[in-house]
Amino acid sequence: MSPLSSPAIIVPETLADALASLAELGADGTPLAGGTWIMRAPLRDEPMAHAYVALGRIAELRRIKISAKRVEIGASATHAMLAAALERCDDLAALRNAAAQSANPAIRHAATVGGNLCARRFPAPDLATALLGLDASVEVADAAGSERLTMEAFLAARGALGPGRIVTKVIVERTGHRSAHSRLPLRKAGDYPVAIVSVAVRLDDADRIVEARIAVGSVEGVPRRWTALEEALAGQPIAAVDVAAIARPRADRFTGRDGVEAPGWYRVHVLPVLVGRAFAALTSAAT
Amino acid sequence: MTIRLTLNGEEREFAAPPMTPLIDVLRDDCHLTGAKPVCREGFCGACMVLVDGIPTVSCLTPIALVEGGKVETVEGLTSADTPPPVQAALEAHDAVQCGMCFPGMVVSLTHLTQPGECDASRAAIKAGLTGHVCRCTGYERIVDAALAVMEGRQ
Repeated sequence: MSPLSSPAIIVPETLADALASLAELGADGTPLAGGTWIMRAPLRDEPMAHAYVALGRIAELRRIKISAKRVEIGASATHAMLAAALERCDDLAALRNAAAQSANPAIRHAATVGGNLCARRFPAPDLATALLGLDASVEVADAAGSERLTMEAFLAARGALGPGRIVTKVIVERTGHRSAHSRLPLRKAGDYPVAIVSVAVRLDDADRIVEARIAVGSVEGVPRRWTALEEALAGQPIAAVDVAAIARPRADRFTGRDGVEAPGWYRVHVLPVLVGRAFAALTSAAT
Repeated sequence: MTIRLTLNGEEREFAAPPMTPLIDVLRDDCHLTGAKPVCREGFCGACMVLVDGIPTVSCLTPIALVEGGKVETVEGLTSADTPPPVQAALEAHDAVQCGMCFPGMVVSLTHLTQPGECDASRAAIKAGLTGHVCRCTGYERIVDAALAVMEGRQ
């Protein structure tokens, strides 16, 4: 017997129709992307919505546009589509690897970028963490128009976007940063990572760090930047700096969440090693 | 809401509530019990079916989202006389396990062993089988069988 109640579902073919349906449904309507989080609502003792508006058949939401200046990712692009599209974008290696390594192949074919950003109370989102490190922006639309938010502003507001609004795309500016994504699942793959560190670094002509953006996911409830470490690394030579050693006394900026796969203290404890691995991946990518 | 799809080559119509997981329609309405609802979280792979040729966790797939699609369950992955290559290789390598996780593995391996889907290496096959969990035996002979199919040895 199905554990689900019987919500309605609308499957529009255009973004305008989807926004009109969501506007009409108001608080009774929820967008549905790949379904891999929403379909587990009963297991989390969460109620299903009265009605879902499925976004998977809207062609413009599945497009990924890549230019020399930026990458625009439609919110209904799946993890698998994103990993494949970024095959040659080495500056966005963090996002490519986040998309290619999360969950398992079947989930990566279903779960979408927008879903990863919008899943409520999902504490281990690889894509959201990578996009935070890449300083991406998020386009949110409703029937009246659209607006762009920084990833930080979006993460602070998600869950409170209000009815009728959906993420339509994510924009990543290509600013000459190198990037890398480091994650620690307890098995080699297939489970939720204990911690995620995603970095984007810009160097000067002497290979000193001009800017380091370091995003941490899965440690606390929502991904956030490790600003104390970012500041400490500014000006350091990338080839010689011992990132893990600088990170160690700054890990206490995080308060780890307890979970079935790991206690909170362990999530914090592994951060210096993970950030060290991410920087090592950056360095090796540069040679 | 009537949902139409092709199931193991047959056109079918379903009147199930649209958010019903595909696995429940397959098992309860069609009595196709090869796919198993084990974790219902997308972690174990026991519910794997092919939707338009792609391995799909049927426990997390609302039936409405496969409207117009082509669904193949393990029961549909047959041929008239001899078993398909993957199934023959699994038998030849003595890799057949109990019916809990194994039908899902057969479904994913059927996709994975198509030309161009996966490198013919143990590491790539294991990465491709991520999300299939067996709690009673092991995986190595399954990987042997997949490798044999990919290398044309079976």
